[in-house]
Amino acid sequence: MRQEKGLIQNIDWLVVMVYLLLVISGWMNIYAAVFDEENVTGIFDLLQNSGKQFLWIITSIIIIVAIFTIDFRFYESFAYVIYGAIIFLLVLVLVAGKEVAGSRSWFELGSFRIQPSEFAKFATALAVSAYMSRPGFKISKIGRFLPAAFIVLLPAALIILQGDTGTALIYSAFILVFYREGFSQVVILIGLLAVALFIMTLLVDKLALIVVIAMLALAIIIVGKKTLKRIAIIAAAAILMGGVVFSVDYFVTEVLKPHQQNRIKALINPDADPSGYGWNVTQSKIAIGSGGFWGKGYLEGTQTKFDFVPEQSTDFIFCTLGEERGWIGSFFLIAMFVFLSIRIVMIAERQKSRFARNYGYCVAGIIFFHFMVNIGMTIGLFPVIGIPLPFFSYGGSSLWAFTILLFILLKLDAHRMQLLVRF
Amino acid sequence: MNIRRSIILRVRIAFLIICLVAVSVVVRMVHLQYVEGDKWNAKADNIGLKYKKVKATRGNIYSDNGSLLATSLPLYRVAFDPTVSDETIFNTKLDSLSHLLSTFFRDRSATYYKRRIKDARSANKQYIILNRKLIDYQEKKQMAKWPIFREGRNKGGAIFEKLDRRIRPFSYLGYRTIGYVNANEDGAGLEYSFNDYLSGQDGKALYRKIAGGRWRPVYDGTEIKSVKGYDIETTINVNLQDVTESALLKALEDHDAEYGCAVVMEVKTGEIKAISNLTRNENGSDYREIYNYAVQGLHDPGSTIKLASIIALLEDTNLKLSDSLDTGDGQYKFYNKTMRDHKPGGFGWLTVQESFELSSNIAISRMVDNAFGDNPQRFIDYLNTMGLTQPLGFQMVGEGVPRIKSPDNTSWSGITLPWMSIGYELELTPLQILALYNAVANDGTMIRPVIVKHVKQADKTIKTFETEVIRKKICDKETLSKVRKLLEGVVENGTAMNIRDSYYKIAGKTGTAQNIKNGRYTKNYYTSFAGYFPAENPKYSCIVVIDEPKGFRQYGSNVAAPVFKEIADKIYAQDIEIHTPMPEVAYAHQGIFPVIQAGHRDDLLLISDVLGINHLAKTNEDWVRAQRKDNAVLWTTNEIAPEVVPDVEGMTLRDAIYLLENQGLRVFYDGKGRVIEQSQQPGLKALKGSNIYLKLG
Repeated sequence: MRQEKGLIQNIDWLVVMVYLLLVISGWMNIYAAVFDEENVTGIFDLLQNSGKQFLWIITSIIIIVAIFTIDFRFYESFAYVIYGAIIFLLVLVLVAGKEVAGSRSWFELGSFRIQPSEFAKFATALAVSAYMSRPGFKISKIGRFLPAAFIVLLPAALIILQGDTGTALIYSAFILVFYREGFSQVVILIGLLAVALFIMTLLVDKLALIVVIAMLALAIIIVGKKTLKRIAIIAAAAILMGGVVFSVDYFVTEVLKPHQQNRIKALINPDADPSGYGWNVTQSKIAIGSGGFWGKGYLEGTQTKFDFVPEQSTDFIFCTLGEERGWIGSFFLIAMFVFLSIRIVMIAERQKSRFARNYGYCVAGIIFFHFMVNIGMTIGLFPVIGIPLPFFSYGGSSLWAFTILLFILLKLDAHRMQLLVRF
Repeated sequence: MNIRRSIILRVRIAFLIICLVAVSVVVRMVHLQYVEGDKWNAKADNIGLKYKKVKATRGNIYSDNGSLLATSLPLYRVAFDPTVSDETIFNTKLDSLSHLLSTFFRDRSATYYKRRIKDARSANKQYIILNRKLIDYQEKKQMAKWPIFREGRNKGGAIFEKLDRRIRPFSYLGYRTIGYVNANEDGAGLEYSFNDYLSGQDGKALYRKIAGGRWRPVYDGTEIKSVKGYDIETTINVNLQDVTESALLKALEDHDAEYGCAVVMEVKTGEIKAISNLTRNENGSDYREIYNYAVQGLHDPGSTIKLASIIALLEDTNLKLSDSLDTGDGQYKFYNKTMRDHKPGGFGWLTVQESFELSSNIAISRMVDNAFGDNPQRFIDYLNTMGLTQPLGFQMVGEGVPRIKSPDNTSWSGITLPWMSIGYELELTPLQILALYNAVANDGTMIRPVIVKHVKQADKTIKTFETEVIRKKICDKETLSKVRKLLEGVVENGTAMNIRDSYYKIAGKTGTAQNIKNGRYTKNYYTSFAGYFPAENPKYSCIVVIDEPKGFRQYGSNVAAPVFKEIADKIYAQDIEIHTPMPEVAYAHQGIFPVIQAGHRDDLLLISDVLGINHLAKTNEDWVRAQRKDNAVLWTTNEIAPEVVPDVEGMTLRDAIYLLENQGLRVFYDGKGRVIEQSQQPGLKALKGSNIYLKLG
């Protein structure tokens, strides 16, 4: 055994610092988003989002202390228990939850509202990591992979039932951990291709797309060996792709709800109806676009206050930053998230326990996916999916959930030297 | 493949993807802010510039004598654009401006204002609110003369934004009647009903969106000025309103009732002089004007409707008031439902007059059932003739529409008519009941109640609401005089004997209806009294409703009627016009004319001649005393002898001093007027130099 250093020395302080930077600058931006010159309230005013966020930050610190106090083995041992409890809550919220803006995903306790789907992320991460760290687990064996996929898809399905498709989409972030554990790259590639095809179908005329696919298939057949098997596979793939192209219409009009259709339409052509479904994105782009390199200055933004950008302290918090802090501020934020994601992957890689490493990848995936989708939607790269920017957006459930998610990893990491290598 | 190399590859691909996403985000940002920057900036300017509504100042609401019931006071928010003033003026005057601001608002130091303005100027901030406290018009005028501010709109930078505040000088008086209009143009009462007149025409002005979510006005000359709303002049009399409201409030508190309303109307014109609606507050602590029961509150009226029943009976049949019928032991069955009288054991035999005065349910309902049972539509037709089946078309929004069943309706049953005749199975508002009683007081002409008399623009009358007739004649003249006798009888001999008054006569009818909860009659009552006064020559009609009084007094007679009486008493005391003139009685003073009692004969003769008073002389002495003889004055001697104390009683002080000092007496006196007492008895010897005290009065 190596000499144990104290817990304090073993904590990855770089990540803690990035965490604090994100939380505090997020809090300041929330204040900017609710700032009203006519009615100046302090940043601590509990009637304002900023004051409430301060409360969440303080409680998050308590949660961190609690996470570090609990024995690190607890998280692996009790992974399924935690998962089970959260699944129970996800079912319960369908029955006893309060419907807010079309989705039944909140518990209301007095004046507090708690969203169990936020906490489902770390619970799922714990459970899937525990399952995948079982001796003999091999992702290439379909019998082993399916239960893991089930662990991930069950909460996602429940969240879709709540009517919160955006949060459910986050569960595709678990592809990262599967990928790290050897999930077939071909399958991922095909998946990505399908998504790309889907988007292409929306952008380009269908007939032209079919022609292009057919010509490509023909070209590949002509260029390579002309064995029957190869030709058959390529032809089948082309026909399948053609099928995807034709099923997109059905998918868009029949499977997606009208507001989801509009969000996709807005992504493709935001100028078609700037005051209608393209409103959010257009307003957000105006805010960011008018920020320039240096921004308009703290509390000086004009677009991100109340009437123009909706949800400016939750999902659209990034445009407050873009407007007031400009390109340079946004760049720093992006850099912090990139640094955080990479750092978490590095932490994951240095784990000796398979559980901790899997968990690290889950954390990296979830945080990065949130970052990508949230900022992507504010700048018009993604359709509008209402998910928060980790550590930055207003909201108690989301801040608590991300704090728990991240600090369990730091706790595991701090104890990595206490384990013997398993494989 | 080597598993280790495979993993390293996978990790690197993961890193790569992360970086790719990040780079695409950064590139997109550059694209947004540089390549498309101008486009988005232009858009930001565009949506940041907007014509906004400038609210017009609302018109005033006046009482009948021009007292303000509601008015709008302009207040101003003081904002400042520190970037526009000249460098030299700014630098030299900033100190004094800051000092003035500090002494005016008294919440921050001059240094604070100075720093704030300076910072804003250097940050090129074009709009700062100097203080959130609003100032009034006089203060604004004064402030506009301050240094820097006085440089004018373009160079001064002062921005005074007008915000109107609605003020009610009488605060809660008639709160609901005056009403309100909120930002969504929703509301109640006169403010809402006459919003079209009061609101005026909103103007438009260009505003620019600035930091902090505020809109700053841009003065570019394109603004459209707003036009102030019209004033409305109501018929509400502030004194009567106050009297009515406090009488009602007192009764509600005494009886711990749920709600009540009282309306006073002028008989000839239909003008509502007072209207009060008080509801128990949600927390039960006090009463507030929350809902306009008088105008909107439909309810089973109870016995007050018997007036309509008896009119229909008198019109349709040849019933005489002296006819009598047996009401039995106070219970009578119509089909399966028992009608009861409020007197335990029943009234027995009653004349028609008594049955109305004592409010016998059985008598009225049986008579109505006998007369109209075969053809109930005739009864409804009579109600229609009395104007009870339609709403009054009152000026305030939300008048309740009378609910009166039709015999064609499936819900009409055998008991509908008898119960309707005593005020159940139909719903009316207190104002509609009042209109009926007013019509009886107004010689049979039903008129539409009015609450707003004029719409005015300053002194110019824009529109006048004349008194309108709803029914020229609600019944025959003969019937009318009979029912007026009946209504007077209620107070003289009937259920409302407790409010009889010797000075003036009240005519009216009590009403007590059981409240229905969940389809069942409860032990809670809706008590009312409707009537008019003075009965012989009615000037005002009035209705008082009090719902759910608690305690042992629960009837219209002992809950609502006393409120009616209190209101009537106060109105009677204040209104000279309705007083019956006092008989002219000449009060003759026994024997003595007040001014001509005693004195110098020439003086008194002159007075008498000038005033044309006959007089007879019994004496030719200089000093006389007056006595009365029939219609004339008889002069008698008032003997004045040397060294004798004269009788100066009844004389003026001047005469008395002359006579007494001639005798060498020293005169002291007290009081004013004529001598009523002297300290030395007349006829005694007058001692020179002695004191005599006179009392004047």
